[in-house]
Amino acid sequence: MTPKSLTPLAHIAVPAPRPDEMYATRFCEREITFRGLKALLGAADCSKAGDRHAGLAAANELSREAARLLLSSLTLEHVYERPLTDDRGRVDAVMRVNYDIDLEVYGKTKHFTLGELKNHLLRSSADAIAGVGRGLTGPMAAALAKICDVHELILLSQKMPRVSRARTTLGMPGMLASRLQPNHPTDDLRGITMLIYWGLSLGAGDALIGLNPAIDTVENVESTLRHLDKLRRTIGVPTQICVLSHIKTQIACLERGAPVEILFQSLAGTESTLTGEFDVTVELLDQGYEAMQSRGVLRELTSQMMYFETGQGSEFTYGKHNGIDMATAEALCYGLARRYDPFMVNNVTGFIGPETHLDNFEMIWSNLQDHFMGKLLGLPMGMAPCFTLHSQITLEGQQMATQLLTAAGANYYMDVCLNTDRMLAYFDTSGHDDQTLRETYGRQPAPEYLEWALGRGIFLRDSQQRVVRGPNWGDPRQFCDSDEELRSLLAATPAAHGFATAGPRPADEISRQVKLNQAVGRAAILAELEIDELLKMADFRVVATEAHSKEAHLNSPELGGRLAASDLEHLIAEGNQVQIVVSDGLSAEAVHHNLPNLLPVLNDALDARHIRAGRPIVARYGRVKLAEQLAVVLEAELVIYLLGERPGGDAQAARSLSAYLVYRAGPRSTTTASPSRPVFEYSVISNIHEKGLPPLEAASLIAEKVFQILSLRAAGNRLEKLLQASRDG
Amino acid sequence: MTQSIKLVGLDCGSTTTSAVIAKAQLVRGALGRVEITSLEPVFRSETVFTPFDDDRIDAARMEQYVDDWLKTVSLSSADIFGGGALITGLAAQSTNAAAVSRLIEARLSDSLVVTADDPRLESWLAFMGNCHALSKAQPRTPILNLDIGGGTTNLALGLDGQVVTTGCLFVGARHFQFVPGTYQLVHLSPYAAALLAHLKINRHIGDSLTPAELDAILDFYLMLIEATVLGQDEKLASEIAQRHIQVPLNVSELIGQKFAITLSGGVGQLVYAQRAAGSPGPITQFGDLGGELATRVSQSSTIASRLDAVVPEGLGRATVYGLLKHNTELSGTTLYLPKPERLPLKNIPIVGTLGLDATDDELASMVDLAGRGAPGGCIEIGLEKQDLAAVRQLGNRLANCLQARPLPCDRVLILLVPENLGKVLGNYVSRWGTLEIDLIAIDEVPSRDARFLHLGRMQQGIVPVWLYGMQ
Repeated sequence: MTPKSLTPLAHIAVPAPRPDEMYATRFCEREITFRGLKALLGAADCSKAGDRHAGLAAANELSREAARLLLSSLTLEHVYERPLTDDRGRVDAVMRVNYDIDLEVYGKTKHFTLGELKNHLLRSSADAIAGVGRGLTGPMAAALAKICDVHELILLSQKMPRVSRARTTLGMPGMLASRLQPNHPTDDLRGITMLIYWGLSLGAGDALIGLNPAIDTVENVESTLRHLDKLRRTIGVPTQICVLSHIKTQIACLERGAPVEILFQSLAGTESTLTGEFDVTVELLDQGYEAMQSRGVLRELTSQMMYFETGQGSEFTYGKHNGIDMATAEALCYGLARRYDPFMVNNVTGFIGPETHLDNFEMIWSNLQDHFMGKLLGLPMGMAPCFTLHSQITLEGQQMATQLLTAAGANYYMDVCLNTDRMLAYFDTSGHDDQTLRETYGRQPAPEYLEWALGRGIFLRDSQQRVVRGPNWGDPRQFCDSDEELRSLLAATPAAHGFATAGPRPADEISRQVKLNQAVGRAAILAELEIDELLKMADFRVVATEAHSKEAHLNSPELGGRLAASDLEHLIAEGNQVQIVVSDGLSAEAVHHNLPNLLPVLNDALDARHIRAGRPIVARYGRVKLAEQLAVVLEAELVIYLLGERPGGDAQAARSLSAYLVYRAGPRSTTTASPSRPVFEYSVISNIHEKGLPPLEAASLIAEKVFQILSLRAAGNRLEKLLQASRDG
Repeated sequence: MTQSIKLVGLDCGSTTTSAVIAKAQLVRGALGRVEITSLEPVFRSETVFTPFDDDRIDAARMEQYVDDWLKTVSLSSADIFGGGALITGLAAQSTNAAAVSRLIEARLSDSLVVTADDPRLESWLAFMGNCHALSKAQPRTPILNLDIGGGTTNLALGLDGQVVTTGCLFVGARHFQFVPGTYQLVHLSPYAAALLAHLKINRHIGDSLTPAELDAILDFYLMLIEATVLGQDEKLASEIAQRHIQVPLNVSELIGQKFAITLSGGVGQLVYAQRAAGSPGPITQFGDLGGELATRVSQSSTIASRLDAVVPEGLGRATVYGLLKHNTELSGTTLYLPKPERLPLKNIPIVGTLGLDATDDELASMVDLAGRGAPGGCIEIGLEKQDLAAVRQLGNRLANCLQARPLPCDRVLILLVPENLGKVLGNYVSRWGTLEIDLIAIDEVPSRDARFLHLGRMQQGIVPVWLYGMQ
């Protein structure tokens, strides 16, 4: 295999940034203007929550269509000459990589306006447009996506198949693969094994068996990789394995000789997000790519050994979008991913929450854009239209997205068993969904995998040589040595409601359980804190945040991190050691289920140690950041912030509480004479509920951690290091 | 979290001794509980005859066996996470059994407990090793496991994976020993000698048993087993029967119920083998009555009719597997253990159980008892649900008691709690660390009516726990 050589960053030519210019047009005697290309790109998209919060979405349909009109009249050269810059006016590394294009191809198309390019793509055969994307940057692809309608996004995408190869071949016309995602909340290998057996029995996993680990340590990732490798070899299934930890962890595993077959990393469309939040640089990605080419397990078989995950909105969520709208930032991710000729790119738009995608329409629209932009730029796009329960996106909306994306030719979907991710508390496509779409659209698994599955009786060929479900489809027992093994694996697997099927779907009684558990989670999110009940429990001070409604709280997370002005002016410095704060977060039910047992024990502990605590506070619609503001205003050394967690896959998860111990490690008070910004350290105790860490034990654990924090004057990693040093003597 | 560990199981029985070394994983389950999973034997020793030197175990040869086995797999004692070693049956009756157990313990590190003559523990382990999974899979079927070995028949009745009651008979293959292939006697255990006297069979070492005499012996053994299984106490009342009962089995719970029988131990395995082959094996093949006893058991309608309902996957290889898998309990992850370096702690007597209904006098007396022996004592706590008022009440009462009557300064008090309440109870008892007491509270370890406790070193936030001397 000849790997793609990487162009050194310094050798990539990028035009010098220019000052923003005005784009203007007139409609019905109204002049509509946009300052700069970023604003124009933002306004040209359908309105989405993240762009609205960032002030980039068009104010109305007229404004949006004006932006689209202007955009379609711009030439590719115009866009090329105006690289989008970061907040300091600089071309960042991600933007620079996006300019690593085929200049010959670009030279042939640069005089096209975007509108002309769209027409050209629609009028031309698939063969004729196969290489156009090589001459495009991310922003050009984003601009094109914004002037396409739904039919165009689907029609153009399905004209651009992107094939990739490792042990299996993905992306050929007529195929639909899946990535089996056997996530488990504690990386319990029994539960992981159960989900793999189940997924394989459904004909899933031909793209990858890829686990998101709960614990990102080299030791855990290496042992999980070895387990997946052993399972794959034992079963003999031709596919790839991957543990989706941070790229540094995987490189360390590779150096220890672990079976790293596919190297994973999440990407972001701005360097400040990529580096500041994901701790990844282009140099590190280059290092990973080269490590795989020289030492990757599959290097003799393929040069495509990279796997990237992206999704609209991460740059906005971290406040590091540089004024670039979500779709364009996403296209920049693709321009970066293209550098490494990946085996897979997975789009998880919808994962973040309502602050980026509020409802089904926004999620579906973004997914269609993402798939189109990725394919246009030459990437083997797999799609994972997904949602969290605190958004308004539903399973039905997700299913609509997959129907449209299958028509558009998505390479693969996820197999998250029964749509419920047991570790990441979100909902994705399932193996049942993948098979349903295969049957609806006449698609088949990857050919290498299909042969294996035919041999297993998971599939069979009918009298007309069509691939249909076989006698062993949906039966994970086939991979177990005994019924007892199956029972033991199942016992370690949460939210496994049963194996029964009806055609390619889960049997109705199973679907009812899945939906009912989602409804329980949503009810917990929508439940309001019952302040009167809490006041019976303790002498709480009740404060408000800037989120004045449940809707604002869910859709704009930053509001819950700030006190309402009216309350802020009434709070004064108290100088206590500890301040207990209770808030609903994303589950008021978690507060009401746990606090009656937790709070009295915590108070007993503080009293016994004579720790000065302020009168407890309850804040409706609070987020974690609120603890920092309260620590500053009250001059509290430590805030114990008890907060409802985001509900996930089962009813218990809806009752799960977390305790954030927020220690002010920096100056206790900020004055004119001492203007330094406060520094906070966090220790977190989570999974507090009856079936997890019971509230009585949790209170005791929190109290011991409080004693340690106050004694050693440290929290988080620094505290753990000090404790370890003390243990080591 | 996943951590690879090594477990050792050693079974020194009346006839044979064998060891298994297995690798396994410590895995944190979905609800946070740590469990031992993926148990996979990496070494099975040859099965050797238990080395006897007259009525004593040959300690030097036993030591050599253990050393050789550890050497074969390059396993040092420091690498052993847990498991167990049992000296059972006639070996446990030998005069130096206790000394040999200490010797093996020294060889296998403090991550292991070696017990001798602990018949209820043997019965419990045999059930857990042979049919725990089966019993879990058929939770409504009572299963009686008969572990028939060289010296003893250990009985354990279980339901839904839990042992309900245990018993033990001195019935086994090796009380009578012969020149292999003949019935010429070469050795008689004291129980065998007593049985011959009772049956008025005047045979000595060097004599051969006649078929009629052999039948009489086997009839007696079968009668003992069947009467015990069926709860026919009148048949067990004779002096000779009582002499053969080490621990009576209370089967009142079985009366009127359908139940299944599983077999384990050397004779138990032979029964399954004979049933599979459809014929009995050669006589006194191993110089004992194993084959003959197995044939009789197979022919017993009381037993055979109940054997087909459930068949253990391992077909009887129970005790060593039970030692590996079940002898080491794992604590919960939130414990009251201010000084982890205090561990390991061995041979801690369990002085009793305290519940909410204990009077102040009972409570004081139990604490006093726990503080008498060195290095301390253990109290089991009868709190079985998450009840704030109960934890506070019992915790504060214990704290008051310890404040009023402090333990001697070198004594540790261990609280053993079945529920996930160790940390909170320990904190209330210690008044949140302000009382000067040496206190440990270990939780999520189910009660086993044991008399002694051993706590291993803390690893990955959990403590391995051994319970033995079962009552």
